[in-house]
Amino acid sequence: MAIYYFTNAGEPCTPFEETGEDLMKKGLAIKATVPDGIEAWRLSYDTAAKAVVVYADGQDEAGALTQQQTDVAAQKVTDDAKDIADREA
Amino acid sequence: MSNLSTLLGGVAETVDPRKEGLPIFGLLATEATQNHHMTYRIFDSSFRNVGSPWAAVCNSTTNYRFGMLGDASHAYVSYDHGNNFHNNLTSESYSTYINYNHSTYQIDQYPHCFYYSSSRDGFVSWQNYHQMTSSFEYQVGWTKLNMVLPEGCRPRRMFCNRRFTMREMAGNCATGNIQAYDYSSHMLNTDNNYATGTGYNEKMKMLVMIHSGDEGGNTSKVIHIFRGKKDLNKVPRIKDFFDDLESTEYFTDTWTNQNVKDWVVVVGNNGWVGFGLKQSNSKRYGVFDCNVKGVGVSLTGASRQWSTWHDFSGSTTTSYGASSGNQYYTKFHTTWDGTWGMIFSPYYYYGCGINAFCMSLENPRKFVNINQTKSGRSNPWVPWGRTGFHGGWSDNCDSETWQTYAWCFDPTDSDHETTTQVSMGTTSGDSVIPDNNTINPQGGTYTNKTGVVSLSSCRTTLTGGYGSTNYPLLMGVDWWGNYGGQNSGYGGGATTPITA
Repeated sequence: MAIYYFTNAGEPCTPFEETGEDLMKKGLAIKATVPDGIEAWRLSYDTAAKAVVVYADGQDEAGALTQQQTDVAAQKVTDDAKDIADREA
Repeated sequence: MSNLSTLLGGVAETVDPRKEGLPIFGLLATEATQNHHMTYRIFDSSFRNVGSPWAAVCNSTTNYRFGMLGDASHAYVSYDHGNNFHNNLTSESYSTYINYNHSTYQIDQYPHCFYYSSSRDGFVSWQNYHQMTSSFEYQVGWTKLNMVLPEGCRPRRMFCNRRFTMREMAGNCATGNIQAYDYSSHMLNTDNNYATGTGYNEKMKMLVMIHSGDEGGNTSKVIHIFRGKKDLNKVPRIKDFFDDLESTEYFTDTWTNQNVKDWVVVVGNNGWVGFGLKQSNSKRYGVFDCNVKGVGVSLTGASRQWSTWHDFSGSTTTSYGASSGNQYYTKFHTTWDGTWGMIFSPYYYYGCGINAFCMSLENPRKFVNINQTKSGRSNPWVPWGRTGFHGGWSDNCDSETWQTYAWCFDPTDSDHETTTQVSMGTTSGDSVIPDNNTINPQGGTYTNKTGVVSLSSCRTTLTGGYGSTNYPLLMGVDWWGNYGGQNSGYGGGATTPITA
Protein backbone atom coordinates (compact mmCIF):
# COMPACT_ATOMS: atom_id res chain seq x y z
CA MET A 1 0.00 0.00 0.00
CA ALA A 2 1.13 3.54 -0.65
CA ILE A 3 0.04 7.08 0.11
CA TYR A 4 -1.48 9.13 -2.70
CA TYR A 5 -2.96 12.61 -2.62
CA PHE A 6 -6.10 13.46 -4.56
CA THR A 7 -7.74 16.73 -5.48
CA ASN A 8 -10.98 17.72 -3.81
CA ALA A 9 -12.65 16.58 -7.02
CA GLY A 10 -11.20 13.11 -6.47
CA GLU A 11 -8.60 13.19 -9.23
CA PRO A 12 -5.03 11.98 -8.73
CA CYS A 13 -2.81 14.87 -7.66
CA THR A 14 0.57 13.75 -6.38
CA PRO A 15 2.36 10.81 -4.80
CA PHE A 16 4.91 13.12 -3.15
CA GLU A 17 4.57 13.79 0.57
CA GLU A 18 6.10 17.29 0.56
CA THR A 19 3.75 18.49 -2.16
CA GLY A 20 0.73 16.61 -0.87
CA GLU A 21 1.03 17.76 2.73
CA ASP A 22 1.52 21.35 1.55
CA LEU A 23 -1.66 21.14 -0.53
CA MET A 24 -3.57 19.57 2.36
CA LYS A 25 -2.68 22.49 4.61
CA LYS A 26 -4.24 24.75 2.03
CA GLY A 27 -7.32 22.58 1.78
CA LEU A 28 -6.50 21.54 -1.78
CA ALA A 29 -5.85 17.81 -1.38
CA ILE A 30 -7.12 14.61 0.21
CA LYS A 31 -4.75 11.96 1.52
CA ALA A 32 -5.55 8.31 0.94
CA THR A 33 -3.98 4.87 0.85
CA VAL A 34 -3.85 3.19 -2.54
CA PRO A 35 -2.84 -0.32 -3.59
CA ASP A 36 0.68 -0.80 -4.93
CA GLY A 37 1.39 -1.27 -8.61
CA ILE A 38 -1.63 0.58 -9.98
CA GLU A 39 -1.02 3.34 -12.53
CA ALA A 40 -2.36 6.72 -11.44
CA TRP A 41 -4.85 7.06 -14.29
CA ARG A 42 -6.84 4.18 -12.79
CA LEU A 43 -7.10 5.84 -9.38
CA SER A 44 -9.76 8.20 -8.15
CA TYR A 45 -11.22 9.15 -4.82
CA ASP A 46 -14.94 8.94 -4.15
CA THR A 47 -15.49 11.97 -1.97
CA ALA A 48 -18.97 10.84 -0.92
CA ALA A 49 -17.96 7.33 0.07
CA LYS A 50 -14.55 8.57 1.22
CA ALA A 51 -12.85 5.67 -0.53
CA VAL A 52 -10.31 5.10 -3.26
CA VAL A 53 -11.72 3.68 -6.47
CA VAL A 54 -9.56 1.60 -8.80
CA TYR A 55 -10.71 1.45 -12.39
CA ALA A 56 -10.85 -2.13 -13.64
CA ASP A 57 -9.96 -3.34 -10.17
CA GLY A 58 -8.33 -6.74 -10.10
CA GLN A 59 -6.83 -6.40 -13.55
CA ASP A 60 -3.30 -5.59 -14.59
CA GLU A 61 -2.44 -2.55 -16.72
CA ALA A 62 -3.02 -4.37 -20.00
CA GLY A 63 -6.35 -5.66 -18.75
CA ALA A 64 -7.35 -2.17 -17.61
CA LEU A 65 -6.54 -0.75 -21.03
CA THR A 66 -8.61 -3.46 -22.67
CA GLN A 67 -11.44 -2.69 -20.29
CA GLN A 68 -11.19 0.98 -21.17
CA GLN A 69 -11.42 0.18 -24.87
CA THR A 70 -14.48 -1.93 -24.19
CA ASP A 71 -16.09 0.86 -22.19
CA VAL A 72 -15.31 3.46 -24.83
CA ALA A 73 -16.71 1.26 -27.57
CA ALA A 74 -19.88 0.72 -25.56
CA GLN A 75 -20.19 4.45 -25.00
CA LYS A 76 -19.84 5.04 -28.73
CA VAL A 77 -22.66 2.61 -29.46
CA THR A 78 -24.85 4.46 -26.97
CA ASP A 79 -23.83 7.85 -28.37
CA ASP A 80 -24.45 6.87 -31.96
CA ALA A 81 -27.82 5.37 -31.17
CA LYS A 82 -28.88 8.54 -29.42
CA ASP A 83 -27.60 10.62 -32.33
CA ILE A 84 -29.68 8.64 -34.78
CA ALA A 85 -32.72 8.75 -32.52
CA ASP A 86 -32.36 12.51 -32.09
CA ARG A 87 -32.17 13.05 -35.84
CA GLU A 88 -35.19 10.90 -36.52
CA ALA A 89 -37.23 12.43 -33.74
CA MET B 1 6.91 56.49 -39.36
CA SER B 2 4.11 58.98 -39.48
CA ASN B 3 0.62 58.22 -38.44
CA LEU B 4 -2.40 60.30 -37.55
CA SER B 5 -1.16 60.71 -34.00
CA THR B 6 2.20 62.17 -34.98
CA LEU B 7 0.66 64.36 -37.66
CA LEU B 8 -1.56 65.85 -35.00
CA GLY B 9 1.41 66.44 -32.73
CA GLY B 10 0.85 63.49 -30.43
CA VAL B 11 3.37 60.95 -29.22
CA ALA B 12 4.33 58.36 -31.78
CA GLU B 13 3.33 54.84 -30.82
CA THR B 14 4.80 52.02 -32.80
CA VAL B 15 3.04 48.69 -32.59
CA ASP B 16 5.07 45.66 -33.54
CA PRO B 17 3.54 44.40 -36.81
CA ARG B 18 3.69 40.88 -35.40
CA LYS B 19 1.53 41.83 -32.44
CA GLU B 20 -1.82 40.06 -32.32
CA GLY B 21 -4.96 40.66 -30.33
CA LEU B 22 -5.85 38.31 -27.52
CA PRO B 23 -5.91 34.61 -28.34
CA ILE B 24 -8.81 33.15 -30.27
CA PHE B 25 -9.57 29.51 -30.96
CA GLY B 26 -11.83 27.34 -33.08
CA LEU B 27 -14.40 24.75 -32.05
CA LEU B 28 -15.34 22.06 -34.51
CA ALA B 29 -18.35 19.87 -33.85
CA THR B 30 -19.61 16.96 -35.89
CA GLU B 31 -21.99 14.10 -35.57
CA ALA B 32 -20.40 10.70 -35.57
CA THR B 33 -20.06 10.14 -39.31
CA GLN B 34 -19.16 13.76 -40.05
CA ASN B 35 -21.18 13.39 -43.21
CA HIS B 36 -24.32 15.29 -42.42
CA HIS B 37 -23.38 17.83 -39.81
CA MET B 38 -20.27 19.86 -39.13
CA THR B 39 -19.99 23.21 -37.41
CA TYR B 40 -16.87 25.31 -37.07
CA ARG B 41 -16.86 28.54 -35.10
CA ILE B 42 -14.24 30.95 -33.81
CA PHE B 43 -14.31 32.35 -30.28
CA ASP B 44 -12.21 34.94 -28.54
CA SER B 45 -10.83 34.71 -25.03
CA SER B 46 -14.17 35.84 -23.64
CA PHE B 47 -15.88 33.02 -25.57
CA ARG B 48 -17.61 35.42 -27.92
CA ASN B 49 -18.14 34.32 -31.48
CA VAL B 50 -15.82 36.39 -33.66
CA GLY B 51 -15.76 34.35 -36.87
CA SER B 52 -17.32 35.18 -40.17
CA PRO B 53 -20.55 33.48 -41.22
CA TRP B 54 -19.19 33.37 -44.76
CA ALA B 55 -16.28 31.17 -43.73
CA ALA B 56 -17.98 29.17 -41.04
CA VAL B 57 -19.41 25.74 -41.58
CA CYS B 58 -23.01 25.78 -40.50
CA ASN B 59 -24.70 23.07 -42.51
CA SER B 60 -27.05 20.54 -41.04
CA THR B 61 -27.69 18.17 -43.92
CA THR B 62 -24.99 17.35 -46.37
CA ASN B 63 -22.74 14.58 -47.50
CA TYR B 64 -19.01 14.84 -47.11
CA ARG B 65 -17.61 18.35 -47.16
CA PHE B 66 -19.33 21.28 -48.64
CA GLY B 67 -19.47 24.92 -49.53
CA MET B 68 -16.50 27.01 -48.63
CA LEU B 69 -14.99 24.07 -46.80
CA GLY B 70 -14.93 22.11 -50.02
CA ASP B 71 -11.36 21.00 -49.61
CA ALA B 72 -10.10 18.34 -51.99
CA SER B 73 -8.78 16.19 -49.21
CA HIS B 74 -12.23 16.13 -47.66
CA ALA B 75 -13.43 14.11 -50.63
CA TYR B 76 -11.85 11.11 -48.96
CA VAL B 77 -13.62 9.35 -46.16
CA SER B 78 -13.47 10.47 -42.59
CA TYR B 79 -10.46 8.26 -42.03
CA ASP B 80 -8.44 11.00 -43.64
CA HIS B 81 -9.12 13.32 -40.75
CA GLY B 82 -8.48 11.35 -37.68
CA ASN B 83 -10.75 8.37 -38.17
CA ASN B 84 -13.47 10.26 -36.46
CA PHE B 85 -13.47 13.45 -34.45
CA HIS B 86 -15.40 11.54 -31.82
CA ASN B 87 -12.39 9.39 -31.03
CA ASN B 88 -11.23 10.08 -27.55
CA LEU B 89 -7.57 9.09 -27.69
CA THR B 90 -8.22 6.30 -25.25
CA SER B 91 -8.47 3.15 -27.27
CA GLU B 92 -6.54 4.47 -30.24
CA SER B 93 -2.99 3.27 -30.60
CA TYR B 94 -0.49 6.03 -29.98
CA SER B 95 1.25 5.03 -33.19
CA THR B 96 -1.90 5.72 -35.18
CA TYR B 97 -1.02 9.28 -36.06
CA ILE B 98 -4.33 9.96 -37.74
CA ASN B 99 -6.06 10.22 -34.37
CA TYR B 100 -4.11 13.21 -33.15
CA ASN B 101 -6.48 16.06 -33.87
CA HIS B 102 -7.57 16.07 -30.24
CA SER B 103 -4.10 15.53 -28.84
CA THR B 104 -2.00 17.68 -26.56
CA TYR B 105 0.72 17.20 -29.18
CA GLN B 106 -1.24 19.18 -31.77
CA ILE B 107 -0.26 22.77 -30.95
CA ASP B 108 2.60 24.69 -29.38
CA GLN B 109 3.68 28.34 -29.37
CA TYR B 110 4.12 28.45 -33.14
CA PRO B 111 1.10 29.63 -35.13
CA HIS B 112 0.93 26.56 -37.32
CA CYS B 113 -0.80 23.40 -36.18
CA PHE B 114 0.32 19.87 -36.85
CA TYR B 115 -2.65 18.74 -38.93
CA TYR B 116 -4.59 21.73 -40.17
CA SER B 117 -4.62 25.44 -40.81
CA SER B 118 -7.42 27.74 -39.68
CA SER B 119 -7.96 31.40 -40.43
CA ARG B 120 -9.40 33.67 -37.78
CA ASP B 121 -12.56 33.98 -39.84
CA GLY B 122 -13.21 30.30 -39.36
CA PHE B 123 -11.96 28.94 -42.64
CA VAL B 124 -10.20 25.66 -42.00
CA SER B 125 -8.41 23.09 -44.08
CA TRP B 126 -6.71 19.90 -43.06
CA GLN B 127 -3.34 18.93 -44.30
CA ASN B 128 -3.23 15.87 -46.46
CA TYR B 129 -2.38 12.83 -44.38
CA HIS B 130 -0.56 11.20 -47.23
CA GLN B 131 3.15 11.48 -46.49
CA MET B 132 2.28 13.04 -43.12
CA THR B 133 5.03 10.95 -41.58
CA SER B 134 7.50 12.84 -43.76
CA SER B 135 6.27 16.21 -42.64
CA PHE B 136 8.29 18.81 -40.80
CA GLU B 137 6.48 18.41 -37.48
CA TYR B 138 6.49 14.66 -37.62
CA GLN B 139 10.23 14.45 -38.24
CA VAL B 140 12.02 17.58 -37.10
CA GLY B 141 9.58 19.85 -35.27
CA TRP B 142 11.75 19.29 -32.21
CA THR B 143 14.51 21.41 -33.82
CA LYS B 144 12.44 24.61 -33.61
CA LEU B 145 13.73 27.36 -31.37
CA ASN B 146 11.77 28.03 -28.18
CA MET B 147 11.03 31.73 -28.41
CA VAL B 148 10.48 34.28 -25.65
CA LEU B 149 8.95 37.26 -27.40
CA PRO B 150 7.30 40.59 -26.61
CA GLU B 151 3.66 40.92 -25.62
CA GLY B 152 1.20 39.68 -28.22
CA CYS B 153 3.83 38.15 -30.50
CA ARG B 154 4.10 34.56 -31.62
CA PRO B 155 7.08 33.37 -33.66
CA ARG B 156 6.66 34.60 -37.23
CA ARG B 157 10.02 33.35 -38.36
CA MET B 158 10.89 29.74 -37.76
CA PHE B 159 14.50 28.93 -37.02
CA CYS B 160 15.60 25.35 -36.57
CA ASN B 161 18.84 24.10 -35.08
CA ARG B 162 20.42 20.73 -35.81
CA ARG B 163 24.06 19.72 -35.55
CA PHE B 164 25.99 23.00 -36.02
CA THR B 165 23.62 24.57 -38.51
CA MET B 166 20.75 26.94 -37.95
CA ARG B 167 18.14 27.08 -40.68
CA GLU B 168 15.15 29.23 -41.38
CA MET B 169 12.13 27.28 -42.55
CA ALA B 170 8.72 28.10 -43.95
CA GLY B 171 6.38 25.97 -41.86
CA ASN B 172 5.00 22.47 -41.56
CA CYS B 173 6.29 21.38 -44.94
CA ALA B 174 9.37 20.02 -46.60
CA THR B 175 10.22 23.00 -48.74
CA GLY B 176 13.81 24.16 -48.96
CA ASN B 177 15.70 26.09 -46.35
CA ILE B 178 14.99 29.79 -46.64
CA GLN B 179 18.51 30.17 -45.38
CA ALA B 180 21.07 28.15 -43.46
CA TYR B 181 24.22 29.00 -41.55
CA ASP B 182 26.94 26.86 -39.99
CA TYR B 183 27.80 28.72 -36.78
CA SER B 184 30.49 26.33 -35.57
CA SER B 185 33.23 28.93 -36.07
CA HIS B 186 31.58 30.98 -33.30
CA MET B 187 31.57 28.12 -30.81
CA LEU B 188 34.06 27.77 -28.00
CA ASN B 189 33.64 24.03 -27.54
CA THR B 190 32.68 21.56 -30.24
CA ASP B 191 33.04 18.35 -28.23
CA ASN B 192 29.37 17.54 -28.76
CA ASN B 193 28.04 18.15 -32.23
CA TYR B 194 24.30 17.55 -32.07
CA ALA B 195 22.15 20.60 -31.34
CA THR B 196 19.33 19.28 -29.17
CA GLY B 197 17.38 22.19 -27.78
CA THR B 198 17.67 25.91 -28.43
CA GLY B 199 15.99 28.92 -26.90
CA TYR B 200 16.01 32.58 -27.82
CA ASN B 201 14.99 35.64 -25.83
CA GLU B 202 14.30 38.62 -28.04
CA LYS B 203 14.53 41.24 -25.29
CA MET B 204 17.97 39.96 -24.25
CA LYS B 205 19.04 39.09 -27.82
CA MET B 206 20.20 35.92 -26.17
CA LEU B 207 20.51 32.56 -27.89
CA VAL B 208 21.15 29.48 -25.74
CA MET B 209 21.71 26.07 -27.26
CA ILE B 210 22.40 22.58 -25.98
CA HIS B 211 24.71 20.29 -27.89
CA SER B 212 24.66 16.59 -27.06
CA GLY B 213 26.76 13.63 -28.07
CA ASP B 214 24.00 12.15 -30.21
CA GLU B 215 20.29 12.47 -31.01
CA GLY B 216 19.29 9.66 -28.68
CA GLY B 217 19.92 9.54 -24.96
CA ASN B 218 23.50 10.81 -24.70
CA THR B 219 23.98 12.66 -21.42
CA SER B 220 27.04 14.71 -22.33
CA LYS B 221 26.20 18.39 -22.81
CA VAL B 222 27.81 21.59 -23.99
CA ILE B 223 25.65 24.68 -23.53
CA HIS B 224 26.51 27.79 -25.51
CA ILE B 225 25.26 31.24 -24.62
CA PHE B 226 25.37 33.79 -27.43
CA ARG B 227 24.49 37.40 -26.65
CA GLY B 228 23.86 39.33 -29.86
CA LYS B 229 23.93 43.01 -30.66
CA LYS B 230 21.25 42.42 -33.26
CA ASP B 231 17.89 40.74 -32.89
CA LEU B 232 17.83 37.32 -34.54
CA ASN B 233 14.22 37.92 -35.56
CA LYS B 234 15.17 41.09 -37.42
CA VAL B 235 18.38 40.21 -39.21
CA PRO B 236 18.01 39.28 -42.88
CA ARG B 237 20.55 36.50 -42.52
CA ILE B 238 21.27 34.23 -39.54
CA LYS B 239 24.93 34.94 -40.21
CA ASP B 240 24.35 38.60 -39.36
CA PHE B 241 23.38 37.67 -35.80
CA PHE B 242 26.47 35.56 -35.27
CA ASP B 243 28.79 38.07 -36.92
CA ASP B 244 27.87 40.75 -34.41
CA LEU B 245 27.97 39.02 -31.04
CA GLU B 246 28.41 40.89 -27.79
CA SER B 247 29.57 37.83 -25.90
CA THR B 248 29.91 34.08 -26.21
CA GLU B 249 30.20 31.72 -23.27
CA TYR B 250 29.68 28.05 -22.64
CA PHE B 251 29.54 25.46 -19.92
CA THR B 252 29.58 21.70 -19.89
CA ASP B 253 27.60 19.25 -17.85
CA THR B 254 26.10 15.78 -17.74
CA TRP B 255 22.32 15.77 -17.88
CA THR B 256 19.96 12.84 -17.56
CA ASN B 257 17.66 12.57 -20.55
CA GLN B 258 15.63 9.74 -21.99
CA ASN B 259 15.78 11.44 -25.38
CA VAL B 260 17.62 14.65 -26.20
CA LYS B 261 14.94 15.76 -28.68
CA ASP B 262 12.69 16.53 -25.72
CA TRP B 263 14.79 19.42 -24.42
CA VAL B 264 13.06 22.79 -24.14
CA VAL B 265 15.17 25.88 -23.48
CA VAL B 266 13.47 28.86 -21.84
CA VAL B 267 15.64 31.97 -21.85
CA GLY B 268 14.36 34.36 -19.21
CA ASN B 269 14.40 38.14 -19.29
CA ASN B 270 16.87 38.13 -16.37
CA GLY B 271 19.46 35.92 -18.05
CA TRP B 272 18.47 32.81 -16.10
CA VAL B 273 17.57 29.90 -18.34
CA GLY B 274 15.19 27.04 -17.64
CA PHE B 275 15.91 23.68 -19.25
CA GLY B 276 13.14 21.10 -19.15
CA LEU B 277 12.02 17.91 -20.78
CA LYS B 278 9.82 14.89 -20.53
CA GLN B 279 11.72 12.15 -18.74
CA SER B 280 10.12 8.73 -18.77
CA ASN B 281 6.58 9.30 -17.45
CA SER B 282 7.68 12.35 -15.49
CA LYS B 283 9.48 15.59 -16.39
CA ARG B 284 12.63 17.39 -15.27
CA TYR B 285 13.41 21.06 -14.97
CA GLY B 286 16.59 22.86 -14.01
CA VAL B 287 17.58 26.52 -14.03
CA PHE B 288 21.02 27.91 -14.80
CA ASP B 289 22.55 31.35 -14.59
CA CYS B 290 23.50 32.23 -18.16
CA ASN B 291 24.41 35.83 -17.49
CA VAL B 292 27.84 36.92 -18.64
CA LYS B 293 30.52 35.59 -16.27
CA GLY B 294 33.69 36.47 -18.11
CA VAL B 295 36.22 34.61 -20.19
CA GLY B 296 37.17 31.17 -18.96
CA VAL B 297 35.06 31.12 -15.79
CA SER B 298 31.90 29.22 -14.81
CA LEU B 299 32.55 26.50 -17.34
CA THR B 300 30.64 23.82 -15.47
CA GLY B 301 26.95 23.37 -14.95
CA ALA B 302 27.47 23.13 -11.19
CA SER B 303 28.90 26.64 -11.12
CA ARG B 304 25.77 28.07 -12.74
CA GLN B 305 22.89 25.92 -11.51
CA TRP B 306 20.29 27.26 -9.14
CA SER B 307 18.94 24.73 -6.65
CA THR B 308 18.86 21.24 -8.19
CA TRP B 309 17.12 19.39 -10.99
CA HIS B 310 13.47 19.17 -10.12
CA ASP B 311 11.29 16.20 -11.03
CA PHE B 312 7.64 16.80 -11.79
CA SER B 313 5.70 16.95 -8.52
CA GLY B 314 2.27 16.00 -9.81
CA SER B 315 0.59 12.78 -10.78
CA THR B 316 2.10 10.85 -13.66
CA THR B 317 1.16 7.75 -15.59
CA THR B 318 2.31 6.06 -18.77
CA SER B 319 2.82 8.68 -21.46
CA TYR B 320 5.08 9.25 -24.41
CA GLY B 321 7.83 11.61 -25.42
CA ALA B 322 10.39 11.78 -28.20
CA SER B 323 11.79 8.38 -27.30
CA SER B 324 8.60 6.90 -28.74
CA GLY B 325 8.72 9.01 -31.90
CA ASN B 326 10.07 12.39 -32.96
CA GLN B 327 6.59 13.91 -33.15
CA TYR B 328 6.01 13.42 -29.43
CA TYR B 329 8.72 15.90 -28.47
CA THR B 330 8.14 18.03 -25.38
CA LYS B 331 6.51 21.31 -26.33
CA PHE B 332 6.60 24.95 -25.29
CA HIS B 333 3.88 27.58 -25.02
CA THR B 334 3.82 31.18 -23.85
CA THR B 335 0.95 33.31 -22.63
CA TRP B 336 -0.26 36.10 -24.87
CA ASP B 337 1.59 38.75 -22.87
CA GLY B 338 4.81 36.77 -22.87
CA THR B 339 5.18 36.81 -19.09
CA TRP B 340 4.67 33.09 -18.44
CA GLY B 341 5.81 30.02 -20.33
CA MET B 342 4.89 26.35 -20.22
CA ILE B 343 6.93 23.22 -20.91
CA PHE B 344 4.33 20.55 -21.46
CA SER B 345 3.46 17.04 -22.59
CA PRO B 346 0.48 14.73 -22.12
CA TYR B 347 -0.42 13.06 -18.85
CA TYR B 348 -1.77 9.91 -20.42
CA TYR B 349 -0.65 7.55 -23.19
CA TYR B 350 -2.17 9.02 -26.30
CA GLY B 351 -2.13 12.75 -25.74
CA CYS B 352 -4.69 13.25 -22.98
CA GLY B 353 -4.33 15.56 -20.01
CA ILE B 354 -1.24 17.54 -19.22
CA ASN B 355 1.94 17.43 -17.18
CA ALA B 356 3.66 20.80 -17.32
CA PHE B 357 5.98 23.24 -15.71
CA CYS B 358 4.78 26.82 -15.92
CA MET B 359 7.51 29.36 -15.31
CA SER B 360 7.86 33.12 -15.14
CA LEU B 361 9.60 34.32 -18.27
CA GLU B 362 10.92 37.24 -16.29
CA ASN B 363 12.58 34.81 -13.91
CA PRO B 364 12.51 31.09 -14.83
CA ARG B 365 13.45 30.20 -11.24
CA LYS B 366 9.82 30.83 -10.41
CA PHE B 367 7.82 27.83 -11.51
CA VAL B 368 4.96 25.53 -10.52
CA ASN B 369 3.73 22.15 -11.71
CA ILE B 370 0.54 21.93 -13.77
CA ASN B 371 -1.59 18.80 -13.85
CA GLN B 372 -4.73 17.56 -15.53
CA THR B 373 -5.17 13.82 -15.13
CA LYS B 374 -7.57 12.91 -17.90
CA SER B 375 -7.35 9.50 -19.56
CA GLY B 376 -9.79 10.23 -22.36
CA ARG B 377 -11.59 13.02 -24.25
CA SER B 378 -8.53 15.14 -24.84
CA ASN B 379 -8.22 18.55 -26.45
CA PRO B 380 -5.11 20.62 -27.14
CA TRP B 381 -4.03 23.58 -25.00
CA VAL B 382 -3.83 27.14 -26.29
CA PRO B 383 -3.10 30.57 -24.81
CA TRP B 384 -6.10 32.22 -23.20
CA GLY B 385 -6.66 35.83 -22.25
CA ARG B 386 -3.74 37.98 -21.22
CA THR B 387 -1.74 35.64 -19.00
CA GLY B 388 -3.24 32.18 -19.20
CA PHE B 389 -3.98 28.98 -21.07
CA HIS B 390 -7.00 26.78 -21.60
CA GLY B 391 -8.11 23.58 -23.29
CA GLY B 392 -7.82 19.93 -22.44
CA TRP B 393 -11.36 18.61 -22.50
CA SER B 394 -13.77 17.44 -25.17
CA ASP B 395 -16.45 15.54 -23.38
CA ASN B 396 -19.84 14.95 -24.94
CA CYS B 397 -21.69 18.25 -25.30
CA ASP B 398 -25.09 16.65 -25.85
CA SER B 399 -27.26 18.51 -23.36
CA GLU B 400 -24.11 19.93 -21.80
CA THR B 401 -22.28 23.20 -22.13
CA TRP B 402 -18.75 22.85 -23.46
CA GLN B 403 -16.17 22.79 -20.69
CA THR B 404 -12.60 23.94 -20.80
CA TYR B 405 -9.80 24.05 -18.25
CA ALA B 406 -8.66 27.66 -18.00
CA TRP B 407 -6.15 29.13 -15.64
CA CYS B 408 -4.08 32.28 -15.45
CA PHE B 409 -1.20 33.93 -13.63
CA ASP B 410 -0.30 37.34 -12.34
CA PRO B 411 1.93 38.86 -15.04
CA THR B 412 3.95 40.76 -12.41
CA ASP B 413 4.52 37.68 -10.26
CA SER B 414 8.18 36.76 -10.77
CA ASP B 415 9.73 36.42 -7.31
CA HIS B 416 10.83 32.82 -6.90
CA GLU B 417 10.98 33.18 -3.13
CA THR B 418 7.25 33.73 -2.85
CA THR B 419 4.30 31.52 -3.65
CA THR B 420 2.60 31.69 -7.04
CA GLN B 421 -0.96 32.89 -7.46
CA VAL B 422 -2.96 30.86 -9.94
CA SER B 423 -6.54 31.74 -10.78
CA MET B 424 -8.95 29.10 -12.01
CA GLY B 425 -12.62 28.88 -12.83
CA THR B 426 -15.26 26.32 -12.07
CA THR B 427 -18.71 25.16 -13.07
CA SER B 428 -20.70 28.00 -11.53
CA GLY B 429 -20.24 31.73 -11.79
CA ASP B 430 -21.48 32.07 -8.23
CA SER B 431 -18.44 30.26 -6.94
CA VAL B 432 -16.07 32.30 -9.09
CA ILE B 433 -17.61 35.58 -7.92
CA PRO B 434 -18.60 34.42 -4.44
CA ASP B 435 -20.64 36.18 -1.81
CA ASN B 436 -17.53 36.88 0.24
CA ASN B 437 -14.13 38.52 -0.13
CA THR B 438 -12.09 35.42 -0.87
CA ILE B 439 -9.37 36.31 -3.30
CA ASN B 440 -9.03 33.77 -6.04
CA PRO B 441 -11.66 31.34 -4.69
CA GLN B 442 -11.11 28.56 -7.21
CA GLY B 443 -7.35 28.85 -7.53
CA GLY B 444 -4.77 29.21 -4.86
CA THR B 445 -1.23 30.02 -3.92
CA TYR B 446 1.28 27.36 -4.78
CA THR B 447 4.73 26.73 -3.36
CA ASN B 448 7.55 27.43 -5.75
CA LYS B 449 9.08 24.31 -7.34
CA THR B 450 6.93 21.72 -5.56
CA GLY B 451 3.43 23.18 -5.80
CA VAL B 452 1.00 21.27 -8.02
CA VAL B 453 -1.83 23.12 -9.72
CA SER B 454 -4.56 20.58 -10.45
CA LEU B 455 -6.63 22.30 -13.09
CA SER B 456 -10.36 22.66 -12.70
CA SER B 457 -13.11 22.54 -15.27
CA CYS B 458 -14.91 25.72 -16.31
CA ARG B 459 -18.34 26.00 -17.88
CA THR B 460 -18.36 28.17 -20.98
CA THR B 461 -22.08 28.28 -21.87
CA LEU B 462 -21.09 27.37 -25.43
CA THR B 463 -23.00 24.63 -27.17
CA GLY B 464 -20.91 21.91 -28.69
CA GLY B 465 -22.25 22.95 -32.09
CA TYR B 466 -24.48 19.95 -32.66
CA GLY B 467 -27.78 18.98 -31.10
CA SER B 468 -26.94 15.43 -30.13
CA THR B 469 -23.77 13.47 -29.41
CA ASN B 470 -20.73 15.58 -30.17
CA TYR B 471 -17.20 15.96 -28.87
CA PRO B 472 -15.93 19.40 -29.90
CA LEU B 473 -12.42 19.71 -31.19
CA LEU B 474 -10.53 22.76 -29.93
CA MET B 475 -8.40 24.16 -32.74
CA GLY B 476 -5.55 26.61 -33.00
CA VAL B 477 -5.82 29.65 -35.24
CA ASP B 478 -2.92 30.94 -37.32
CA TRP B 479 -3.50 34.66 -36.79
CA TRP B 480 -5.47 36.13 -33.91
CA GLY B 481 -5.97 39.45 -35.67
CA ASN B 482 -4.12 42.71 -35.50
CA TYR B 483 -3.66 44.11 -32.02
CA GLY B 484 -6.24 46.82 -31.48
CA GLY B 485 -8.22 45.68 -34.50
CA GLN B 486 -11.84 46.29 -35.12
CA ASN B 487 -13.23 43.53 -32.94
CA SER B 488 -13.56 44.29 -29.24
CA GLY B 489 -12.11 40.88 -28.47
CA TYR B 490 -8.84 41.76 -30.12
CA GLY B 491 -6.70 43.85 -27.84
CA GLY B 492 -9.43 44.70 -25.39
CA GLY B 493 -12.44 43.22 -23.76
CA ALA B 494 -13.61 42.18 -20.35
CA THR B 495 -10.82 39.78 -19.53
CA THR B 496 -7.99 41.98 -20.62
CA PRO B 497 -6.88 45.14 -18.90
CA ILE B 498 -4.25 46.17 -21.40
CA THR B 499 -1.93 49.09 -20.96
CA ALA B 500 0.13 50.57 -23.73
